[in-house]
Amino acid sequence: MVAFWTLFKKEVKRFLKVMMQTIVTPFMSSFLYLLVFGVSLGAKMNDVYAVSYLAFLIPGLMMMGLMNNAFQNSSSSIAVMKFSGDLEDIRVTPLSSHHILMAMGMGSVIRGLAVAVVTYIVGVIFYFVQFNEFLGISHPFVLAYFVLVGGFIFGLLGICAGFWAKSVEHVAAFTNFILLPLLYLGGVFVSIETLPNWAKTLSAYNPVLYLINGMRYGVLGIADVGLMHSIVVSAIGLVVLYGLAFVALKKANFSRW
Amino acid sequence: MNALELIDLKKNYGALSAVKGVTLTIKPGEIFGLLGPNGAGKTSIISIVTTLEKPTSGQVKVFGYDVLKDPMETKRRIGVVGQEIVNSGFFDVYEILEFMSGYYGILKNKERIEYVLHKLGLYEHKNKKVKQLSGGMKRRLMVAKALVHKPALLLLDEPTAGVDISLREDLWSFVRELQQEGMSILLTTHYLIEAQELCHHIGIMDRGQLKCVGPTAQIIEQFSSKKIMIKLRTDRDSLTHKNFLRKRDGFFEFHIPSHDSMGNLFRELSLTLEDIDDIKTEQGSLEEAFKHVVAK
Repeated sequence: MVAFWTLFKKEVKRFLKVMMQTIVTPFMSSFLYLLVFGVSLGAKMNDVYAVSYLAFLIPGLMMMGLMNNAFQNSSSSIAVMKFSGDLEDIRVTPLSSHHILMAMGMGSVIRGLAVAVVTYIVGVIFYFVQFNEFLGISHPFVLAYFVLVGGFIFGLLGICAGFWAKSVEHVAAFTNFILLPLLYLGGVFVSIETLPNWAKTLSAYNPVLYLINGMRYGVLGIADVGLMHSIVVSAIGLVVLYGLAFVALKKANFSRW
Repeated sequence: MNALELIDLKKNYGALSAVKGVTLTIKPGEIFGLLGPNGAGKTSIISIVTTLEKPTSGQVKVFGYDVLKDPMETKRRIGVVGQEIVNSGFFDVYEILEFMSGYYGILKNKERIEYVLHKLGLYEHKNKKVKQLSGGMKRRLMVAKALVHKPALLLLDEPTAGVDISLREDLWSFVRELQQEGMSILLTTHYLIEAQELCHHIGIMDRGQLKCVGPTAQIIEQFSSKKIMIKLRTDRDSLTHKNFLRKRDGFFEFHIPSHDSMGNLFRELSLTLEDIDDIKTEQGSLEEAFKHVVAK
């Protein structure tokens, strides 16, 4: 347990030491997204499920920030350790594979959660300024479930990417060609009900859709996808990703780049 | 129980055989020097012992625990100082040592960390980041990382590569202290004079094979020659002998195998004590034995 706690603490301390990059930059992105899409364009858009476009956008951006940062936390942590040479430390010490996955996964959840909270606060301020009312949380336990599961899934995905990558460029390619398309096509900015049928069918195979909709249900009490459906798909996603990350860790090369 | 036991250990990297059936044991509380030219397979062996690499075949036991079957038990007993310097960028020296302690399951380790920091001359640098340390300090930090959990077996893979003589002397004296406290130490180094002074046992490897292993004095005796210089009361132009080297400053110089006796030489030269004015001897060195073994 001490070994798990130590690695978890190290993961959290690491991103707190570079807060400008890990918290302030996502804050800036959320601010701009909400200003440009939520406030400016949103004023010209129809309400979605009887809520304003700004309200629709806030949970989507929260989940996008959470997943993106959870992925970045574990993948960049491994990439940096491979670069500096101290990845060997976690191999030669008695840290079990489960300790490593749980600690790095939870570290990713914490960074993702921090970004999601920052995005929510910015969104609530914009919402208050525009509509003069507070945007509360409809289902806090549902929200907590999707924060935990979503952050963990993407933390584990970051572990896979970090161990599979042979260079920093590989991690960047994974982010740009796999992660970002999944995020942008997962229903952050639009309801899948507004998509053409073929795109709607395709989106049903995007696991991110269920996480974003789960988060949206947690905040607004509405979503494109049924809550149980989202819960089950994301739980399956977690189990699959844990298995993949376990294999990636077992087969990993801990040598320096 | 042996501190480390390698049994017919083999490691292949594709078509390359890096370790070819090495068998050796390290006794508790001894310093064992694993020597060999670059590419001999020393680091591969250390990587297998620390579980960074898997052996192709053979067995490795640390205090009786198999590294493949009980890796957690073996890891708890091992401290390792790798060849390359690590540059953890985010954390300071003290934080790094706290993390290492935690990985070994030790939550509060202030006393040991401070002891190690003092011993390695790093205490006043404990709040510095790694990039602020000199090369020598970085090396010492790597040694400190390996010692925070009081390992029973310390693996030092060329710990003094590229460091100045004063630091090397400090480090070797600390290694001696650790050995006196009961720690077993496996050391690889290219500084053979230091290995000769420090190590109880030596193993010499070349191209993946363990060419010879044994007590340091025995290896030197077996594979090196000693120089005997004799000055006679009555000067002569020459002394005929197969091991005669040269005559210099009135001394006749002979190179004889280290295990050969001086008495034999005198008999073969038909000399008695009355014929001799002065005698000097120079013992063979590990360096000479090493060259001899590797050249074979």
